[in-house]
Amino acid sequence: MRIKILIRLKSQILEPQGKVIEQSLKSLGFEEFSNIRQGKLIEIDLPDSLNEKERSEKIDVACKRLLVNEIIEEYEVLG
Amino acid sequence: MNDEIILEHGLTLDEFRVIKEYLKRDLTIEELGIFSAMWNEHCCYKTSKKWLKKLPTSNEIVIQGPGENAGIIDVKDNDGIAFKIESHNHPSYIEPFNGAATGVGGILRDIFTMGARPIATLDSIRFGEISTDKTNYLLNGVVHGIGHYGNCIGIPNIGGECEFDQTYDYNNLVNAMAIGHVKNDSIFYSKPKTIGGLIVYIGSKTGKDGIHGASMASDVFSEDDEDEKRPSVQVGDPFMEKLLMEGCLELMSSGLIESMQDMGAAGITSSSVEMASKGNVGVHINLDKVPLRQPLTPYEILLSESQERMLAVIEKDNNEKIREILKKWQIDYEVIGEITNTKRVVFSSNEKIVVDLPVDIIVDDAPEYDREFSLPKKRNQRNFDTSKLNIEKMISNYMNNLNYLDKSWVYNQYDSTVMGDTIKEPGQSAGVVKIHNTEKAIGASTDCNPLYIRINPEKGMIYTVLEAYRNLIASNIKPMAITNNLNFASPLDPNIMGEIVLSISGLSDIAKKLDTPIVSGNVSLYNQTNDRPIDPTPVIGMVGCNSNWKKILQNKFIKKNDELLLLGKSLGGDFSPYFLQDQKIISSICEFNELLAPDIDLEIKTAKFIQEAAEKDLIQSSNDISRGGIFMSLIKMTQKNLGFSIKVNDEKDIFCEYNAGYILAIDQKNKEEVFSMLYKDQINFLSLGQVKLNTFEINSKKFNYSDMMDMYYKNFYKLIN
Amino acid sequence: MSFKSAVITFPGSNCDRDALTYLKDLTHGEVFNIWHEESSLPDVDLVILPGGFSFGDYLRSGAMASKSNIIHDVIDHANNGRYLLGICNGFQILTEIGLLKGALIQNKSIKFLGKDCYIKKKFDNKFNCNIKDSEVLQIPVAHNEGNFYCDQETLNYLQNEELIAFEYCRGEDSIDDGNINGSLDNIAGITNKNRNILGMMPHPERAYQDFHVSKDGKKIIESILS
Repeated sequence: MRIKILIRLKSQILEPQGKVIEQSLKSLGFEEFSNIRQGKLIEIDLPDSLNEKERSEKIDVACKRLLVNEIIEEYEVLG
Repeated sequence: MNDEIILEHGLTLDEFRVIKEYLKRDLTIEELGIFSAMWNEHCCYKTSKKWLKKLPTSNEIVIQGPGENAGIIDVKDNDGIAFKIESHNHPSYIEPFNGAATGVGGILRDIFTMGARPIATLDSIRFGEISTDKTNYLLNGVVHGIGHYGNCIGIPNIGGECEFDQTYDYNNLVNAMAIGHVKNDSIFYSKPKTIGGLIVYIGSKTGKDGIHGASMASDVFSEDDEDEKRPSVQVGDPFMEKLLMEGCLELMSSGLIESMQDMGAAGITSSSVEMASKGNVGVHINLDKVPLRQPLTPYEILLSESQERMLAVIEKDNNEKIREILKKWQIDYEVIGEITNTKRVVFSSNEKIVVDLPVDIIVDDAPEYDREFSLPKKRNQRNFDTSKLNIEKMISNYMNNLNYLDKSWVYNQYDSTVMGDTIKEPGQSAGVVKIHNTEKAIGASTDCNPLYIRINPEKGMIYTVLEAYRNLIASNIKPMAITNNLNFASPLDPNIMGEIVLSISGLSDIAKKLDTPIVSGNVSLYNQTNDRPIDPTPVIGMVGCNSNWKKILQNKFIKKNDELLLLGKSLGGDFSPYFLQDQKIISSICEFNELLAPDIDLEIKTAKFIQEAAEKDLIQSSNDISRGGIFMSLIKMTQKNLGFSIKVNDEKDIFCEYNAGYILAIDQKNKEEVFSMLYKDQINFLSLGQVKLNTFEINSKKFNYSDMMDMYYKNFYKLIN
Repeated sequence: MSFKSAVITFPGSNCDRDALTYLKDLTHGEVFNIWHEESSLPDVDLVILPGGFSFGDYLRSGAMASKSNIIHDVIDHANNGRYLLGICNGFQILTEIGLLKGALIQNKSIKFLGKDCYIKKKFDNKFNCNIKDSEVLQIPVAHNEGNFYCDQETLNYLQNEELIAFEYCRGEDSIDDGNINGSLDNIAGITNKNRNILGMMPHPERAYQDFHVSKDGKKIIESILS
C-alpha cells in the first residue's frame, strides 16, 4: 500500500518560501490567493499484510524518529 | 532508414551517406544514435576544428593540452593544476536550476577524472535585459543552481562574471570553470593500457535524463519548444557527486584504477568511444549490466546523460578491492565490459549485438567543415559629442547599470571560503586560493568583452585576454595558461563564422605573445533563437600561480594616506566602446570607431614592473582598470570607510577604458623607490591622489562616501527586484 | 598531557578537512578523523561535528547524520563532560540529536548565504572565555538553514540559564543590522546546560590563518585550552 505523509512547518513558524510564492502569485494577478505555505510530501510503500493499526503505529514511529522534527514541523498521514 | 529519422538525429544526408558507404550496410537505430551524438558540434567540433588547430597549446609548463578531460600545467615541485571551462547554455535556458547545477557537476567531474582534487570553481554567466520576468527567473534559477551544486560538494567559488545585455534575452550563457590540484606523478588519463582490462561503471544509476541532450545543444531553438524539450534536461545530485569524487580519488590514490573517463555529454557512448580511440583499442560492453533506475532500451542507455557516472578500466585482480571501497561510499559499481584488440566499439544487449562499429569511422572520419566566412566591414572614424555629460551624470549612468555594480547578490549565494584556503574571494579582480599544505597561490579570472569582439573580433579577443591578464597581474599572480569557452551564434551565417575565425586568430596571437597556451576548452555554437543571434562571446579563463602566497596583492585599500598611482594609457572617449555605450552616446553597433590597437608591449612591461614591485613588498594593493575606467576601479578598492581623493585633468577620462591600466596604492615611505623603478623601466604614470578616510573626492568635488557605497553595494538588489 | 581531539566525517561532510587542519594547527595535539559508521570514539578531549551537507541535507539538514552509528559514542563523550563543538551542519546535527535546544530553519532570505558575519559573545562559557565582552569577531558563514528557532519557553530558558554563547551583531562595514539569517534574538551559537557542548553557525576554522579574513576563530580553541 502506498502511504503519503504530508510534513509542514508548524503554523506559528514563518515560512518564507510560502510568502514569496504568495507575492509572485499576486503579481501574476492571483490577488485572492492568501496564506500560502509550502510543505513536503513523502511517499512510502508498505506491505498490504499490515493491518491499519500496525501501519499507523509504524508510520508514527518513523515520523517521530526521523521523518519529522517536532520542534518545527507537524505531519499528517494522507490516506 | 528514412531521411526524416536521419535528419531528426541531427546528421545531414551527406554525412549519413559517408557512413553508409564506409560500412557497406544499413545502420541499426542504436548506431545512428551513436553517430548523432559523436558527430554533433559539441563532441567533434566539426565547424571549429580547422581553426582551433591554430591555437598554441604547449610550452614547457604544459603537461596536458586539449584532448583530455582537462588541461594540466606544471607549477613545480610535482604540483600540477588541472583546469577547464565548459558551457551549459541551452540546458540552463530550458531549466535554469538543474541546467546550471549539472554544468558545475560536469566540469568538476572533468577535473577529478584526471586524479585532481577540485580546489576552486568560477562562473561566467550572461543574461538578457533584467526588465523581463524571464531574465529574472533565469538569473535566480542559474545562481541558485550553481550555488546549490558547488556549495553542497564543498568547492569554493572564487570568482567569475555576471553580465546583462539584451543580446542574451533568448539565449543566456552559463559557463562553469573548475580548477584542481594533482601530483604530477599521479595524473590519470582516459587511455586504457591493458587488452582484456575490465570496463567498470561507477556512480549513479542510468535513467532517461538528457537523452539527446548533446544533439539538442547543436540545434537552433525555436521559441515555442521549451516545454517539449523539458524532459531531456539532466537533474543533478551534488551529494552523489561528493561521494563519487571521494570514492574515485580514493581508488586512484590506492592505485587500483588504470584509466578513467567521465560520462558527460552523450554518456556511455562518448566515454567508451573516447577510451577506445585514445588507446587505439576496442571495447565490448554489455548494456544489460548497466545499473538502471528504470527500464530503458539499449538506444536510451547509449544516449542517456544521467549525471554523476564514471567509466573506468581496471585490471581483473582489483575488482573486489574496488567493490569494497565503493561500498563504503555507497556507490553503484558494475563490471560492464572489457577492452579488446579489435579497434571496434561493440555494444550488446540480450545476447544480441546492437552496435558494431570501427572506432576509426566514428572518431577519425568525423566531419570537418571549412565553412564560408566573411570579414567585418571597415569602420569610418568619427568624433562623438559628449558635451552633455557631466560627472554626476556619468556616475549615475554607471551606478544604475547592473553591469557595473557589486554582484554580492550573486556571489553571496556561493560558498567561497570552504576548504579554508581561499585568499581572494569573488568581487575582486581575480580569485586566489592556496594549494593546501604548500605556500603556492593559484589565481584565476574569467573574462569576455563581447562588445569589443563585435566591433573587431580579432582585436577584441586580444583585449579580452589582456583583461584577464591584468586581473591576474593586479593580484601578483603570474599568468600561465588559458582555457576557452567559445560561445557563438550559428556558424552557417558567414558573418558569425567570420567572428569565430577571427577571434580564434586573435586568441592565438595574444596567447603566443604572452606565452600562455590554451590547454583546454569548449565550443558552444548555435546560440541563437530565430533571427536573434547572441553577440560573439568567447569567454576565456586564465590561470596562474605565485609560489609564495604572502606576495599576493589584495584589491582593497589597506590604510589611509597611501598614494594612488595610475598606470596605463587611456583609450579616450572616442575609442572606449563600453564608455560610449553605457554613457548612452551610441546606440547602434555600426556607429563605433574601429578599436585602437592593443598595446601589448606596454602591457607586458607594466606587468613586469608590478610583479617586481610586489615581490619587493612595495605595493599595498592594486586593481586593474577595465569596463568603467578609473572611476569603477577606485570604487572597487574602497573598504571599511577607506575612500579616496584624486585630481585628474579630464573628468570624462576617468570613465574610459585603458590599455595596461592599473591603480596602485603605495605607502608614502615607498613612493621614491617605486617612482625610480618606474622611471628606470620608462613607464608613464600619474600620481592621482591619496586614500582618505570616509572621503569620495574628485577634483575637489566631494561626494558623500556612504551614499556612493550604498549605490555600489545596494543598487544591484534594487534593480533586480 | 597533550590535548586530543577528533573530527567526525559523515558522507557529505565537506568541512571535515578544514576542521582537522584547524585542530592540528591550534591544539598541536593528536587529532583523529572518525568515519560515521565506526562504533567508538578514541579517548579525546574535544569532538568536532564539522560543516557540510551530511547525507546531502536531504529530508532536513543534519537529520540523518543524527542517526549515525557513531552518535551513541558522541553522546557518551558529551555526557562525560568533555567538549563537543558542532559547526554549521554540526550545529544542525546537535539540535537533531537533541543535545542542543531549538532547530535551524531556512534563512529568512530563502537563499544560501556565503559571506562574513560579525558576532559577539553573549554569555560566558568555556568556548568563549578568552573573548572580551565588547569584542566583535568577523567570521565567515556558509549556510542555507541557519535561522535559529525555538518556542518562547525555550528561548526564556536559554536566556535565563545564560546558554547563548554568540549573537550576531553589526560590524565595521555592515550595511544591515547584522542578523544575517533571521535567527531569534540574533542567536549565532548556543550551549547545553552543562556548557560543554557548543553549536554555532559561523565557521571559526575559516578564520585563523594569516590569509583568512580574520584570526578571530582562533579564540575558541584558545579558550578551550586556557
